Amino acid sequence: MEGKIIVVTSGKGGVGKTTATASIGAALALEGNRVAIVDMDIGLRNLDVVMGLENRIVFNIVDVVKQRCKIEQAAIRDRRIENLFLIPASQSDNKDVLTPSGVERVAKELRENFDYVIMDSPAGIERGFENSVVSATEALVICTPDVSAVRDADRVIGLLYSRSLDPKLIVNRVEPSRVARGEMLSHEDVLEVLSIELAGIVPMDEQVLISTNTGTPLVLQKDSKAGQAFVRIAKRLNGEKIPIEVPAYKTSMWSKISKTFGLN
Amino acid sequence: MLSGLLKRFSGKKKSKDEAKKRLQFSLIYDKLEVNDTTLNDLQKDIVDVISKYFEIDKESLELKVKRDDNVSALVFNTPILHVRRKRAISL
Repeated sequence: MEGKIIVVTSGKGGVGKTTATASIGAALALEGNRVAIVDMDIGLRNLDVVMGLENRIVFNIVDVVKQRCKIEQAAIRDRRIENLFLIPASQSDNKDVLTPSGVERVAKELRENFDYVIMDSPAGIERGFENSVVSATEALVICTPDVSAVRDADRVIGLLYSRSLDPKLIVNRVEPSRVARGEMLSHEDVLEVLSIELAGIVPMDEQVLISTNTGTPLVLQKDSKAGQAFVRIAKRLNGEKIPIEVPAYKTSMWSKISKTFGLN
Repeated sequence: MLSGLLKRFSGKKKSKDEAKKRLQFSLIYDKLEVNDTTLNDLQKDIVDVISKYFEIDKESLELKVKRDDNVSALVFNTPILHVRRKRAISL
């Protein structure tokens, strides 16, 4: 059976695409799937350091597309999570060394060998984006609850629609306390603006930076709220029927009192 | 802590409501942007159709998207040189 190819994209940079890709990929592997994560950000690779595999790179995706090596030579096996593989980006090339047709050929081969292939798209909507979406069967759009990320997400959603992909949205770095104070767009606000299906909500979590500091998979930290949110997203992608969890705001004594008196 | 109380009395609006409103407007506005290729193709098609009925001055015509606060309009401006004699126009 052929595997699924999921592109993770956002338009805007710095909204958590790489963390999301690494976490969802790892979680899908923990569910027993054979997973390949592909870093499509040629020239600015980062998935390798986020996943803690930077010391083991021999070949990269450009080598694979240019037929300088086989897929199994470029795919780095994660030693902590079974069935998880990373195909890193090249750091020395520029995005235009890959063509959509070249990527398509490799993607076809990847589908035959993995249950899930996850493409981490670079920021922007140029060639790197084209290369990342060309073979995708599913698409995830990541955005944070701020005006620039939402606007860019809208643009990317339009481009995915025109390629007959029906993307789902992950709202990342939600801060429930700020949402409660009306300082931050809620996931409902974002969904209303973008009119798109929700894949999941990920709360702001200090653990993310700590995990990337050490290159350990976020989904293995049981106390990480973001990590567990990504696990649930992966389970739903994998067909499990579990509800979307909305990050809760712990109400303090004061807010309970003020609510009672109608001050909020 | 007292922010709820303060907001209540200062009548300050929630900033996220403004963010949402601004986003909704800008997304509509973004989609009204027409690129030059589309505009040129459209102009060519319009000229072809109009030329079946009128002889027009192809040099001095103009096609543009006019935007106001509330409405956007496509404005096509052309001097008519001649009305073409009625022929059997195949529909």
